[in-house]
Amino acid sequence: MHSAHFDGSFAGWREAARTLLCHGLAPHQVNWRGDGDSGGLFDQAPSPVNTQPAAEPPRIPRQLLELLQSAACFRVEDRWSLLYRVLWRVAQGDRAAMLPGDIDGSQLHKRLKAVRREVHHLHAFVRFHPRPETVEGPQLVAWHEPAHDILHSASEHFAERLGRSTWLIATPDDGIYWDGRHLHYQRPCPDEWQRLAQTPEDDGQALWLAYYGSTFNPARLNRSALENSLPVRFWKNLPEGPLIPQLMSQARAGAQRDGQATAVAQQAGKSIRYNVAKKPPISGNADPAPHH
Amino acid sequence: MQLIEKLTVLADAAKYDASCASSGAPTRSSKGKSGIGSTSGMGICHSFTPDGRCVALLKILLTNFCLYDCQYCVNRRSSDVPRARFTPEEVVTLTIDFYKRNCISGLFLSSGIIRSADYTMEQLIRVAKLLREEHEFRGYIHLKTIPDADPLLIAEAGRYADRLSVNIELPTEASLIRLAPEKQLRTIKQAMHSIHLGESEARVEVRAPRFAPAGQSTQMIIGADATDDSTILHTAASLYDNYRLRRVYYSAFSPIPQSPNTVPFEAPPLLREHRLYQADFLMRGYGFEASELLSGPGNLALDIDPKLAWALNNREHFPVDLNRAEPAMIARVPGIGVLSAKRLVALRRQRRIRFEDLTRLRCALEKAKPFIVTQDYRPVQASRESLLLRQQLSEAPAQMALW
Repeated sequence: MHSAHFDGSFAGWREAARTLLCHGLAPHQVNWRGDGDSGGLFDQAPSPVNTQPAAEPPRIPRQLLELLQSAACFRVEDRWSLLYRVLWRVAQGDRAAMLPGDIDGSQLHKRLKAVRREVHHLHAFVRFHPRPETVEGPQLVAWHEPAHDILHSASEHFAERLGRSTWLIATPDDGIYWDGRHLHYQRPCPDEWQRLAQTPEDDGQALWLAYYGSTFNPARLNRSALENSLPVRFWKNLPEGPLIPQLMSQARAGAQRDGQATAVAQQAGKSIRYNVAKKPPISGNADPAPHH
Repeated sequence: MQLIEKLTVLADAAKYDASCASSGAPTRSSKGKSGIGSTSGMGICHSFTPDGRCVALLKILLTNFCLYDCQYCVNRRSSDVPRARFTPEEVVTLTIDFYKRNCISGLFLSSGIIRSADYTMEQLIRVAKLLREEHEFRGYIHLKTIPDADPLLIAEAGRYADRLSVNIELPTEASLIRLAPEKQLRTIKQAMHSIHLGESEARVEVRAPRFAPAGQSTQMIIGADATDDSTILHTAASLYDNYRLRRVYYSAFSPIPQSPNTVPFEAPPLLREHRLYQADFLMRGYGFEASELLSGPGNLALDIDPKLAWALNNREHFPVDLNRAEPAMIARVPGIGVLSAKRLVALRRQRRIRFEDLTRLRCALEKAKPFIVTQDYRPVQASRESLLLRQQLSEAPAQMALW
């Protein structure tokens, strides 16, 4: 068994994997040691890889490298063995290994799908809090807890979205800061970033919460559809999270009958008097001035 | 009235419109620019409410004052609901605030009809123009189009909006006359035609200004009248054909406060709505014709999905040999979607398809089993009668409309 040590990054793994491929080491002969592992009890086997490469580096389709890089974001105990197995098989000419119907390919694609989904969750469920204009530092801050290592590769999206606004996203593991011109990525996440993101001075959430409660139709209450699309693990970091159980119980307690938001039902109504016989419908005048 | 109270009223008033898509827009970016907003073609669902529907856009009415008396609408003039009206600036403030918080990807603005159709349309355009020109907002904008508005106003709306929509509301003219006396099928279709024309011109003419690049959609209310699914699907098919609509939304009629006697006061038919969406998807993505899904009058089955229903009625096409069949035919097998069909075709270029491959592709095997042949599998059910198969594959009666 050969122990392949590297720095835990995809670039590091790629270098190591290329060397191993050139030496013809099959997947079952390699024990991957990324993420700063110091090595195990049975690690003494001499490394055969310090010599010159035994062969020309094999040609690998660019598309496979992209798939492997993306799949490497998937957090799992042993994230590198599968990647090397797929790489090995394709290098041997067995391209089925990249396909979702294959025994290894299906594992690879399962990871790819989970990573894509987590990127989407980042883009969808990050909630920025504006900070007071007078303070130093980022104008918008967010705390997010992704299940996979997607922050670095997926955050460019927010630079496109928010223009020159400066922003910071902190997670338990890493953080990213956009200063209006450049992205700054840090792993581990600096304590100061985590503090900024977790204790925003934001008193402007009431409008969003009012909207969320009002756009919900209690007559269509459907908890399982909600949980499929918005996994419960995200609720705690969403401002609307605490509203979800409240709205569900209000719906069950009566609002479900006619679908009207409770806050609207409490207000006085107003039907519009309008004489159809006298005026053609679209030239009437029931135009109210905007209320201020 | 405080802004927050207006928002409460005008979001509640807008929520019966099912559309929430923020997809189909061209790629726009604000990186390194003043202003904010981006679009990438893919929509983002930023939140989900407890009804399982997504929140992608700030969906509100400019005002719920309305001169019309559409019986199915909570905002009809005879309805006793609280009324409010935003100023255009207020809508802009809300849009930008929610956008910066990453709660939405843009705005979906509609309105009750006030003063006149043209005046109402002008008000909607004003908001979009403010957002685009004064605030350099590059996020998604969907504007509701008022059917009787001047085509010139529709053309102007198309320059600011990514998507325009005119609601057909009800699937037949007779129902429209009965339940929405002020609306006319003729003007609704005229507005759809104006939008279609604008889109076509922008596509043909290279230097033409952009026009609603995410196309147009519409909504049909299901269950407010007695129209059957066959009529609904045929209406949808003709709208897709005639005006190149991107989407038809089906909105199960949801009971409204102080419901008039002309419309039902019962739980929304959610399962029926779900089957219509499935059938619609088969028409848009799988090449099914409306007449294949429902050849005569009647409704879609509720206990089985429309693709399975079609397969059971057309046993002569099955079983399908996954190692030989055309991709389009593989996608017609119950339990195998377009994506799985593509993946099977890619895999069979490398080697023969075996039954376990379907497990790995996560196809719905119970549904697919009677209809397929692989290298190592032939269905014993191939000769079994459709009626028997249907009983076997029928979904347990789903209580989707709990009340």
